[in-house]
Amino acid sequence: MKTKSLLLVAVDFLIMFAGLGIIMLNQYPNIDYSPVPWALGAAVMGFAIQLFLVKGRYSSDIWVFPMVLFFSSLGIIMLARLKPILCVPQLRWLMIGMAVMLGVLYFSRQLKNMMQYQYILGICTLVVLCLSLVFGVEIGGSKNWLVLGPISVQPSEFGKILLVLFLAAFLSDHGEMLNAAKRKFLFLDLPPIRFIAPLLVIWGIAILMFVVQRDLGSALLFFCMAVFMTYMGTGSKSYVFIAMLFFGLGAAVSYAFFSHVQVRFNIWLDPWADPAGQAYQVVQSLFAFAAGGVWGTGFTHGHPGLIPEVHTDFIFSAVAEELGLLGCTVIMMVYVMLFYRGIMIAMSCKKELHTLVAAGFSIALFTQAFIIIAGVTKFLPLTGITLPFISYGGSSMVSGFIMIGLLLSLSKKEKVHGA
Amino acid sequence: MGHKDIKKYILHCSVFMMACFLCLFGYIVYLQVIAAPSLAANPMNRRGNAALDIVRGSILDINGRELAKSSQPGERSYPYGEIMAPVTGYLGEAIGSDGIESVAGSDLTGQSQQLQMLGPIGQAMQSTQGNNVKLTVDADIQQLAYDALGSHRGAVLVMNAETGAIIAMVSKPAVDPTDVESNWKSLTAREDSPLLNRATQGLYPPGSTIKVLIADAALDEKVTDLNEKFNCNGKLQIGNEYIGESHGAVHGNNLTLKDALTESCNVTFGTLAMRMHGKGLENAFDRFGFTTPINSEFNESTCHLPKFSSLGDGDTAQVGIGQGETLVTPLRMAMLASAYVNQGKVMVPYLVEEVISPVGLVIRKASPSKWMEVTSDKRANIIGGFMENVVTNGTGGAAAVSGVRVIGKTGTAENSQGADHGWFIGAAELPKGKIAFCIIVENSGGGGAVAAPIARQIITALRDR
Repeated sequence: MKTKSLLLVAVDFLIMFAGLGIIMLNQYPNIDYSPVPWALGAAVMGFAIQLFLVKGRYSSDIWVFPMVLFFSSLGIIMLARLKPILCVPQLRWLMIGMAVMLGVLYFSRQLKNMMQYQYILGICTLVVLCLSLVFGVEIGGSKNWLVLGPISVQPSEFGKILLVLFLAAFLSDHGEMLNAAKRKFLFLDLPPIRFIAPLLVIWGIAILMFVVQRDLGSALLFFCMAVFMTYMGTGSKSYVFIAMLFFGLGAAVSYAFFSHVQVRFNIWLDPWADPAGQAYQVVQSLFAFAAGGVWGTGFTHGHPGLIPEVHTDFIFSAVAEELGLLGCTVIMMVYVMLFYRGIMIAMSCKKELHTLVAAGFSIALFTQAFIIIAGVTKFLPLTGITLPFISYGGSSMVSGFIMIGLLLSLSKKEKVHGA
Repeated sequence: MGHKDIKKYILHCSVFMMACFLCLFGYIVYLQVIAAPSLAANPMNRRGNAALDIVRGSILDINGRELAKSSQPGERSYPYGEIMAPVTGYLGEAIGSDGIESVAGSDLTGQSQQLQMLGPIGQAMQSTQGNNVKLTVDADIQQLAYDALGSHRGAVLVMNAETGAIIAMVSKPAVDPTDVESNWKSLTAREDSPLLNRATQGLYPPGSTIKVLIADAALDEKVTDLNEKFNCNGKLQIGNEYIGESHGAVHGNNLTLKDALTESCNVTFGTLAMRMHGKGLENAFDRFGFTTPINSEFNESTCHLPKFSSLGDGDTAQVGIGQGETLVTPLRMAMLASAYVNQGKVMVPYLVEEVISPVGLVIRKASPSKWMEVTSDKRANIIGGFMENVVTNGTGGAAAVSGVRVIGKTGTAENSQGADHGWFIGAAELPKGKIAFCIIVENSGGGGAVAAPIARQIITALRDR
């Protein structure tokens, strides 16, 4: 049974090589073989890691990793088709990501210990997020990049890991108090302000990102994470209500004062008011979904290049056009399965802290996929954010693999000492 | 607050997110299945014309000669240039397309709706080469008609009366389609409208050619019969105005309807129109399909008819001789003529004979169909006989061809832009089938002198093949 999971990895790389093969055949006679060695390297690494996971020394889950590889393979062939120049870098990021994941698994014992230092985690979260607030450089309309020599990093991608860790630690420690020391205010149960302060800070930072950095996607994700984590840790509907109030106020104020928020919202309300201007990207994305239909136009046969920035935020539209509703369904189903496995891991954790961390990561990845898919389909206002493991992006890839690494290490059944 | 509670709350959140995801999935299904057709048809959607990686198929004439061809994506040449321009139309990134390039656009790129419904399976069948489109047009006849127009502006339309297949569709002046996009601004500003396909979009007063319809209508409305004798003293007085005969002719007092058509007597037909009044004329134009769109491969202009019921006597008489507000296209006049050699039936005109895949498979073949029955077989014979007399004994003598039954009617359309337009409409029964034609030569004077000889050339060429 366990070794059969290798079959899944084989299928993932079959997808990758079939896709790359199609693209190379299209290039004939001037074939660009440069991705081949990298793809082979990634395949060897993928199989080795799955074999390692099957042995079960650091993890007891063998299904999550093949699913992640499925997304990565799909992302790489879509990139090879949309922006061939980014195919090799993405393969490189995939290998770096897998290596980082191995590192996380190897040091999982130490990392699990570190998870308990809630205030250090809290400070780290603040520092990482403030780094981009203060030193952020604008790339592609969002001021959320840190340029470190040759590489650009998106701190918010790593901030979301720290956020989950911090909230999990804080809530597993203070959950009882947050619930016990309540005061009634109208129909809301309010805890003392010193307990709720850290949450308010996180929410505030989310709003700041929203406004200062124009990084609406990350802001929305952070906010959702904070609300989900708080609810999971305390079960208090009052917090959810307060958060919603906070969010509603923040959104209303930003809408009133900031033009870029207004633009996003108006595009969502009526993209046909300015289809050739501000709503161009979303309208083209909708056309891509329509062109795909049920079966899709077939890989390499669509025109997703008509959508600006299709290789990052809008990669799902390219999938929808070329692989159709079938492709969309498969991707969404695999995200659901990944989410399901993640929640199962959370359920089997022996410690509250670990349960919260595993559930937090699972929900974070799932919510991120939801936000961007909803954005490109105009289901919700568009907020730029990557589609986990599929969109191009080093920071997003590496941070994703860190989360998967931690999730896998939490799946390891261990003896609980004195609990 | 125990571990169990946390797990319960995690489940709450999970169920909530799953529900959101499910809604999103439902919306995507809606987008890709239900909303897809209307989004695909949105004019902002450039995907239909974005087939830049496909070598567009050739447009061929009935004998397989290339009228438009591409050797690589984005490149297009038109071997017949302006001669075939009204048929092929043009194509440009920024200017869109016209003619067959427009009508058969999805065939030429090979992106049929059926293939798109099949998705990737369809792509497997989709080659990088579009389909060839074989037309009913005969390049030799087209060339002949184009040359026959000489330096005049005008249009020639020749069709198979029994099938509706268009054999030639000439409009002059025209521009080589390869030059259209680069000269778009100056071409659209030109006074002689070279981008207008005069055969289907040119609106002209029909002149005396309309008398075949008036004769038919007068018999139908029973305002006259075959035995009535008309009296023509060269002038039809209506109140203060009068309608005269061309060249001041006087046709005498022993005219039958047949004689009146043969001599193209204005007095007789003005009288007949006034006898029918508005209602009778309106019925006649309706019956012959002038108010019904063809709804096929032609981007035709709608014929302009006056409000018959509100016309005074003078204007009604003008309708009877094809002057005044009535404006028609050459295509419609050829269709009118075709009824008189085809038992009163008019076929749906068409240009695309076959759509042929790059490997030579015929994907689609035209099937001729009846458009409408405009008059009875019996009356078609009667009027057809009158029109034959026009060629053998009357104003259309220049169209006579030995060994072929030719029927026709000349016309001279007065217009505000200078000399009269000359018309000749008619039909010919050739050994290989019956044809109908319409020729208009702008500012050439009478139709009998300039237009009818062009018909003769075309009939002779078709007879000798």
